[in-house]
Amino acid sequence: MLENPNKHIALLGNPNCGKSTLFNRLTGLRQRTSNLPGTTVEKKQGIWATGNLKYTLTDLPGIYSLYTANDDEKVVVSHLLNPVEKRKPEAILFLLNAHSLRRNLLLFTQVAELGIPMVVALTMSDTASRNGKKIDAVKLSTILQVPVIEVNPRKGTGIPDLEHAILQAAIPTINLASESNIHSRLADFHTGKTVPGLHAETLGRYTWIEPVVKEVVSAKSWTRASLTLRMDKLLTHKIYGFIFFAFLMLTIFQGVFTLAEYPMQWIETGFGYLSQWVHHQLADGFLTRMLADGLIPGIAGVVVFVPQIAILFFFIGLLEDSGYMVRASFITDKLMRKVGLNGRSVIPLMGGFACAIPSIMATRSIRNKSERLLTMFITPLMSCSARLPVYVLLVSLAVPAGSRFGPVGLQSLVMTLAYFSGIILAAIIARLFILFRKPGEVSEFILEMPPYQAPRLQNVITHVWHKSRSFVVEAGKIIVLISVILWVLSSYGPGNSMELAESDVYRTHEKTIMPDGKRPSHDELQAYVASARLEASYAGRLGKFIEPAIQPLGYDWKTGIALISSFAAREVFVGTMNTLFLNSPDGEVIAIREKMQKAENPDTGKPRYGVPYALSLMMFYAFALQCMSTMAVMKRETGTWKWPLLQFFLFGAIAWLAAFAVYRISVAFV
Amino acid sequence: MKASQLQSGENARILSITEGPHARRLAEMGCVPGSTIKMAYAAPAGDPIAFEMDGNLLGLRKEEADYLEVEMM
Repeated sequence: MLENPNKHIALLGNPNCGKSTLFNRLTGLRQRTSNLPGTTVEKKQGIWATGNLKYTLTDLPGIYSLYTANDDEKVVVSHLLNPVEKRKPEAILFLLNAHSLRRNLLLFTQVAELGIPMVVALTMSDTASRNGKKIDAVKLSTILQVPVIEVNPRKGTGIPDLEHAILQAAIPTINLASESNIHSRLADFHTGKTVPGLHAETLGRYTWIEPVVKEVVSAKSWTRASLTLRMDKLLTHKIYGFIFFAFLMLTIFQGVFTLAEYPMQWIETGFGYLSQWVHHQLADGFLTRMLADGLIPGIAGVVVFVPQIAILFFFIGLLEDSGYMVRASFITDKLMRKVGLNGRSVIPLMGGFACAIPSIMATRSIRNKSERLLTMFITPLMSCSARLPVYVLLVSLAVPAGSRFGPVGLQSLVMTLAYFSGIILAAIIARLFILFRKPGEVSEFILEMPPYQAPRLQNVITHVWHKSRSFVVEAGKIIVLISVILWVLSSYGPGNSMELAESDVYRTHEKTIMPDGKRPSHDELQAYVASARLEASYAGRLGKFIEPAIQPLGYDWKTGIALISSFAAREVFVGTMNTLFLNSPDGEVIAIREKMQKAENPDTGKPRYGVPYALSLMMFYAFALQCMSTMAVMKRETGTWKWPLLQFFLFGAIAWLAAFAVYRISVAFV
Repeated sequence: MKASQLQSGENARILSITEGPHARRLAEMGCVPGSTIKMAYAAPAGDPIAFEMDGNLLGLRKEEADYLEVEMM
């Protein structure tokens, strides 16, 4: 009996037992997600209000057994056993899936020995009985010694009974753990000690379970999988299966790439107006500029990712909820295994071509820790949509439009090569990663393939909401901070150097006559000022400072400034070059390309930004981790700065070497 | 024979699980001696393989299915 019901209840069960649906059903949107301490496993908590009683419900990860050394199981065990205040549940709401009662009971018998009051929610018993499999819930309740309530979380039936039963939660008295008790065995197991006879214990539990299942289940013919099997014949077919998969990937890719562009534009325009409005409302000064030009665009830089995240997770939610996701892993597993990944890595890697940020967040479904880490590690090497504008500018510098290589346009060929170099490096790194794998760690697939079902919109929307929110709240902080720093660097210079640069422009242009014979217009003067100010700023100085380091790659200090500022987002490269080449802010790629083409190298008399320059810089952008948002998300998802920093320096070093090689080779040939 | 050698549609009873890294995990998923499995279909490359057990589908890599010693029914 639960004496004080104003307490914590843990929701526990196997994967695919309807747990998330029940959680959403009981708590609605009154839920919060946070990372469980010391891990990257998400903890979902919500308030379950029944009449005048309120419970804090914790949705624990779906697991098959307490004895598995993955993060998910560790989290469940520490949540159930650690007597830390506020985390120890007073009761467990345990889900049993009627379709796979035998396997679900294994976890039940383990949890039953922990001495925590339990209530069982029997899910899917209605669909099971429709398929000829009847389960006697009353008998089951007698055997398990806890209340058993038939619940359909999708329809919401059985919830009132559940509200009543939770007050009658009881401690089962089953004890099947061999020799020692389960508490000490679990403690040993999860601190890395060897626990003797684990396999035998599991088999022993099944020996207890088999007669129980025989007792409570009356099955006639067992036909549940037939529709699913027929669909699988098509969806895992060697031709149709891959066609469907490719079609799906293309749809998702288009969604993240194209569909997201509209809301992204609205966000940018909206925040642009907000900046202007702040400038109008407040007196000019450091704080106003900081707010309007630093902070607001920084926040815009975070919010602008939300459409891509939301769209990707909308699709992923549909795929997960419908049961297709597992099939996608199933048909691609063999291929992905060759480079040390598994089938679950496919979606994040594909998503990486649109944007690495939601894709890295999507790796959470990879259960194996090192495979997940590897997938996150190489995802930024997929050329994302932010690299596209940079590639477009550089390709147009390197290759004259209309030139062909056989039947293929040379521009698109070079572009394709840039995309492929990222993929090839990713495969190489993945292969090398396997060498560092801990000995004894085995790659595992063993996967339940749930029957297909119509996805539930509420589950999908909740998923989208949590992903977007956790990105904005957690990774967002870092992104805003760095973008404010970048703004200060490019808007301020040491002492009064900025003012000097500005007045210099006015003085020298007093007598300037433009090529058309007129005096410079106001806009033209403003462009000169912006360019001179950027050159005099800290960022400009930094660009000149790093020039020796990037000179071997064929870059000058202007490229250096653009490289630094494009750390905010890769496409900023084009805008910065625009400013430095005295274009009006809305100047198009054509205009800046012409200016870059005309520029000559004073030492050699050859074009300053010729073919070697463009190819070398494309190489650099294909590899280098030029994206603070990716680093922020890596930090959040891995819980440490170690991995984003390793990516930054490793990819940076490879990018430098590759760009150097490409520059040297093309200088020799062009 | 091994479960990985079953052809599509063939039923078999699990006799034993070979000792090794996947043994306990397989048992946890319900592959214990005495239970029956049916080879449902294989992925395009012939690997992994989906087995039907208790009316549910379980996907196993070939090397994982090798751990299950079975007899045809």
